[in-house]
Formats: sequence, C-alpha cells, structure tokens
Amino acid sequence: MNRIWFIMIVGSLCFLIWTDPAIVLNSMVDAAGEAFKLSLELCAVYAVWLGILEIVDASGLSDKLAKLLRPIIKKLFKIDDKEPEKMIALNMSANMLGLGNAATPMGIKAMKRLDDGSGVATPAMIMLIVINSTSIQLLPTTVIGLRASAGSLTPSDIILPTLLATICTFTLGICLVKLCHKIFRRKKK
Amino acid sequence: MSAYILPVLFIALFCYAKYKKVNCYDSFIKGAKKSIPLVVEIFPYIASIMIAVALLRASGITALLAHLLSPIFSALGIPTELIELVLLRPFTGSGSFALLNDVLTTYGADSYISRCACVILGCSETIFYVTTVYISQTKVKKLLYAIPIALICSLVGSIIACLLCKII
Repeated sequence: MNRIWFIMIVGSLCFLIWTDPAIVLNSMVDAAGEAFKLSLELCAVYAVWLGILEIVDASGLSDKLAKLLRPIIKKLFKIDDKEPEKMIALNMSANMLGLGNAATPMGIKAMKRLDDGSGVATPAMIMLIVINSTSIQLLPTTVIGLRASAGSLTPSDIILPTLLATICTFTLGICLVKLCHKIFRRKKK
Repeated sequence: MSAYILPVLFIALFCYAKYKKVNCYDSFIKGAKKSIPLVVEIFPYIASIMIAVALLRASGITALLAHLLSPIFSALGIPTELIELVLLRPFTGSGSFALLNDVLTTYGADSYISRCACVILGCSETIFYVTTVYISQTKVKKLLYAIPIALICSLVGSIIACLLCKII
C-alpha cells in the first residue's frame, strides 16, 4: 500500500504542477472533507449493524451460521479457530445480500484475529481480501435503485448477468489465490 | 420484492433473540457503542485513499490513461465509454456510483452501455478501499499477491459483464 499511495500522490502532483498547481491543496482538503462525510455515514451504518450483530451473536445465530458454512470456510481458509470462522461467515453472508458496509466491521474483526503479527499477510487474510473484492452478490440493491431512478423499464434485468459475472470472478479469485499460494510456498523452499 | 427481505429478517431475528431470552436492547447498545471507535480508527485510511483519488482525477491522469488504454479495452470488448469507470472502480465507491449515474443519464438507463456499467459495478468491489480498511487494525505491511489477484478478477469480471450483456 505504501508504494501504491506514493506513486499515486507523487505522479498526480507532478502532473498538476504542469497543468493546474492552484487546485492542489483545495482538492486535497475537499477530499478529506468527503472522507469525513463518508465516515459519518459509515458511523451511522456501523452503529445499526454492530448493534444487530451483537444481537445475532448473543442469540447464538452466528454460531449456527458458522456451523453451516464451516465446510466451505475450512476448505477456503484452512483455519481452525472458532472466532474468525464466525466473523467470516457473517462477513460472507452480508456481502451476498449486497450489504458491503455491514460486512466491513466483521471483516475487520476477522482480520484482527487472523493476523499473526509477522507483518506479512497470511494466506487466510489474502483469501479474505480477495473474497471481499470479488464477492458473490445475490442482490445488487444500490445499482438496481440507481437504474430505477434513471427511468429504466426493467431495472432488475441486470440481476442475472451480475450473478453470473460474480460467480465467475469469485471462482477465478479463489483458484488464483490457491495457485499463487502454492507457487509462493515452493519458492520459499 | 427485495425491499421485504431485510425487515422480515430483522423481525425474525428479534423474535428469535426474544425466544432465546436475549436482552435485545442491552445487546444493541453494546454493539452500537463500538461504531464510533471503529470509525475513528479507519478515518485516516479512508481520507488518505480519497485524497489520492481526488489528486489523480484532478490531474487528468485518469482521463489520459483512459485515452491511452482505449485500444486495449476495446480489444477486450469493453466499450470505451466505460474505461474511466473500470479504472476508478477499485479506488472509490461513491466516485464510481457518480460515474454510473452520468452514464445512465447520458446513454439512457436501458441502453447496452448502461447495462454493462451496472453489471460491472455489481460484480466488482472497491479493492483498494476494502483492503486498506480491512487491514487497518492489523500489523500487516506486505500483502504479497492479494491486490494483483483482486485486480485481475475485477478486470476479468468487467470483460465477462460486457459479454453477458451482449448475450442476455
């Protein structure tokens, strides 16, 4: 991330010195303001979902969900620790419903537990990142909403292609992670 | 139809929790309390990535890249009108939704281009944003192959999306 961020910032700044040096500070502060607004919104979203999550947890439903998804999670993540398993199960379920923002707090919790403190991402963490980047969406609610408000006659006819496309990327992502993991391990030896 | 899913799930959850003798109110408070520290923790990560994206867009690099990459994208079957969307999607959620709205109003909500844009957004994620936020509470500095794989999947997803929109 350090390298990517450095390249993005320095590259754009070099460009802007040529084209429009006056707007640099303004657009940076504006963006930070946007980030603040987004954070406020997220705070509201998280308050609702973390509250709901606590109820889900207290009623034992998350254990049940984790049990249901355990075979898949075990296969994908190769972990044997109940707490992250539970969080991953909830994270994946929220993602499938198109609730990306609700999935985030659980993903963060799971990551915290998966971290081994070595500074290098573990295979399970990489899997979680890729799964969250390619997650299967049963209902792309936001997109359908936008389409409907733009005057589409059949706003929901994108559900099927979206579902098919996410299934493809999801499978591809998992296969690539497994493949890279194998190559990486061999290199280390 | 889809509007009913969440309320029904919530009702089921609350009834189930009551049946399990959980104090819903107390639990909700306990969970909601965690939202503010969490947001305070992740705010700098969100801000840093949004600043980088803002500079990138203001500098015109994305427009230039879109122009340079147009032959490659059209060879892959992605309409040239959507290149900026595909390029910005991994970085910003709100930005790409704003772009989608532009596409919808310019080309009409039911056009091929609009449907492609919708499916591309539906099947991809804000990879850099998700990654920075997810690892913000860990000590991880090296992500190895996580981001390249996510990006490849996102690109393949866009290609498949455009293809599917042509068939279906």
